[in-house]
Amino acid sequence: MSCTKFENQIALYVGGDLPAAQASRVASHLAGCAGCRALAEELRAGLALLGELGDDPLEEAMLESVHRRVLAQAASPARPPRRLYWGLAFAAALLLAAILAWPRHPARHTPAPLARVVPPAPRTVPVDSVKLVPVRRRVARRHHRHAPAAEPGPPLLVQFVTDDPNIVIYWLIDRKTQGD
Amino acid sequence: MAAYARERSGDLEAFERIMSECERRVLRVALRLLNHPQDAQDAAQEVFLRLYKHLGSIDQARGYEAWLYRVTVNVCHDMARVRRRSVPLDELPEPAAAAGDAASDAARAEQRELIRRGLSCLGGKERAALVLRDVEGLSTREVAAILGSSEQTVRSQISTARLKLRDFTIRLMRRRS
Repeated sequence: MSCTKFENQIALYVGGDLPAAQASRVASHLAGCAGCRALAEELRAGLALLGELGDDPLEEAMLESVHRRVLAQAASPARPPRRLYWGLAFAAALLLAAILAWPRHPARHTPAPLARVVPPAPRTVPVDSVKLVPVRRRVARRHHRHAPAAEPGPPLLVQFVTDDPNIVIYWLIDRKTQGD
Repeated sequence: MAAYARERSGDLEAFERIMSECERRVLRVALRLLNHPQDAQDAAQEVFLRLYKHLGSIDQARGYEAWLYRVTVNVCHDMARVRRRSVPLDELPEPAAAAGDAASDAARAEQRELIRRGLSCLGGKERAALVLRDVEGLSTREVAAILGSSEQTVRSQISTARLKLRDFTIRLMRRRS
């Protein structure tokens, strides 16, 4: 293995993050490679400095400020969470939309109640009266090669009448030649 | 209502006790992750308010430490993404030189400053892994649990971060000399 491939392992080795088998392989490489030993020393120095960052005295003023701000907010009366506000706003919007969409002109014609229809009892037919008729096979014409192309007719106008007399929907359908 | 107020005040006492135990650690990690005192204070405040909100639902048998580290890392990550205060490497001012041969303490402080700046040049995940492992002294397994990654991933992030930090300090030292 070349020294470049050892670099990542050396970075773990100096912090004691390698399993024993890999650590002994790295140690034997370091014993014979001055360049990698120098790298290991630089990495160790960096680790020592990182460890010292943990002992840095924090400014008491910073701690005091955080402590005071947190306690002031925690002790304040509980407010409903912001999500609740959004939920209420959404519910109000839905209600408003439902009111606006509600039909203003109720149906003028109430449908007559359906009459109850009692189906007649099934009639039994004697077997002798049934005639057997041979079935004629229909042959479908598959080739329309010589059929003349039909001319497309004028566009079709469909009119939808809604409950609201002020709203009429027109639908213009373009007729196309059949079989295209 | 009186019972509610009592419960709340009891919660507040317990919360204040936990906060007093952990606030240095939370603020220190936030400072190392954000490298900005005001942002770090804001992050710590957010972390403790979340702790207060979820005080009853945290598994006390497992302790608050891992929960606090995890939330601190997440809050700092979100804050860094929104505020984007990290300074590119080339724009960093050079650290002040140590005054004289006798100032070994000053030289050490200067090196620590280099390391601090180097940390801010790492990617978010690498920085979090390195701070938790090498500054806070947690094990690889603990770091993996806090970051929600595998130990293998954390090892890879740590080794990359250590090498990058070493390259950064060497480059800066060379530039100075």
